[in-house]
Amino acid sequence: MELATERTVSPPTLGGVKVLGLHKSYGKHAVLHDVNLEMTEGEVVSIIGPSGAGKSTFLRCLNYLEVPTAGTITIGDSTVDAGARRPDRACLDRLRRVTGMVFQNFNLFPHLTVRENITLPQMKVLGRSRDEANAVADSLLNRVGLAAKSEQHPARLSGGQQQRIAIARALALSPKVMLFDEPTSALDPELGLEVLAVMRDLADEGMTMIVVTHEMHFARDVSDRVMVMADGRVLELGPSEQVMTAPTHERTKKFLRAVLDR
Amino acid sequence: MFAQIASGAGMTVVITGASLLIGALLGLPLVAARRSAWSPLRALATGYIDIVRAIPPITWLFLIYFGLPQYALRLDSVSASIVGFSVIASAYMAETYRSGLLSIPRGQWEAATALGLKFLPKARYVITPQAFKVTLPAVAAYAISLLKDSALASTIGVHEITYQAGLASRATHQGLLAFSIAGLLYIAMSVPLAVVARRVDRVLRRKLEVA
Repeated sequence: MELATERTVSPPTLGGVKVLGLHKSYGKHAVLHDVNLEMTEGEVVSIIGPSGAGKSTFLRCLNYLEVPTAGTITIGDSTVDAGARRPDRACLDRLRRVTGMVFQNFNLFPHLTVRENITLPQMKVLGRSRDEANAVADSLLNRVGLAAKSEQHPARLSGGQQQRIAIARALALSPKVMLFDEPTSALDPELGLEVLAVMRDLADEGMTMIVVTHEMHFARDVSDRVMVMADGRVLELGPSEQVMTAPTHERTKKFLRAVLDR
Repeated sequence: MFAQIASGAGMTVVITGASLLIGALLGLPLVAARRSAWSPLRALATGYIDIVRAIPPITWLFLIYFGLPQYALRLDSVSASIVGFSVIASAYMAETYRSGLLSIPRGQWEAATALGLKFLPKARYVITPQAFKVTLPAVAAYAISLLKDSALASTIGVHEITYQAGLASRATHQGLLAFSIAGLLYIAMSVPLAVVARRVDRVLRRKLEVA
């Protein structure tokens, strides 16, 4: 009840994100405890923390790839109340319309060419014509520097190239918020750089982004705020510089020592 | 004699083709039920598949051709054999589809879901084309085994290759020749099927798994 009133009092700005009291458990085993996150449009938040912290689970709850057990998710003007027996189909569709997701393993469709990967969702989800979809695909491929690869199948491309195409595929649907689930973890360090460069550009252009990552430089330099998670809880959430250089929580200090001083 | 036996080839093709087609179509709802989130439906589909496959094809044919008329459902021998083989094919095809679906990484479903694709476009444009590649060799192998099983229809009097060979052998007392001709006819039909399937498979693989 209290959550509901709070939501109506301060609706997020157009592309903002507001997550209240998100819980997720598998049977008796809770993997997320009361996770809260509010973001304004254009903000970039990095989520860091040890593996098993629930970072990816949290991200995947935001577009309902995982079903949270309680809490409220508001992205743009779409709100879903978790915990309801079966969330309304239309709500889920809207939630997925305003979010774009990039996966650790790219998950491009291997049977389609690069361009078809980007045009198929546009035509089937937004009902764009083939010509419109092609135009969008070509301009995005230009933007991620892969215009020359549009007729190739994904298997011919490097991991870094595949991930840039996966980003283009998500952007083609004009999401309000981009969710990145360890986008560089499956890549060689050098290939990761080209993906990070694309993400940096996106952030500069004002895209709202939530990035689960082990790239500490990205977390510190590109994101506005950093959220540290461990054991399904948020340990701290604050301006990147402060969290990365002067964390308050002992667990965060330990984690940062482990990743930075190696 | 060759002409007489070869005249059964049409019926062999009709029974095999019709049963394969009907079985392939019935297999779709069956595999959907087999993977349903609702456990009673899942149990029903699993039970159907297990039972159908546990009964020998010839027993199915007798059951339908000699058994059903007791309840006033009298089918002619061709229909009875098509019904019987379709039932059997549906169970095998459902399992073949299932193995195809299981071979598709979860990330493919997740990516399609995250992009907002609904069930039908997801199935039609993302999953089926990939599953097709995996299941094609199994489907071809099953088509060939069904082609051979169709010889059982001779036992309920369908005028297919083996039936005609039996007639010819009794009329001429040249059983070796008659059934050799029948065997050659089966080879002539199944080998090209296998060759074509292998070629299509190779082309698909080359197209999809380039790297």
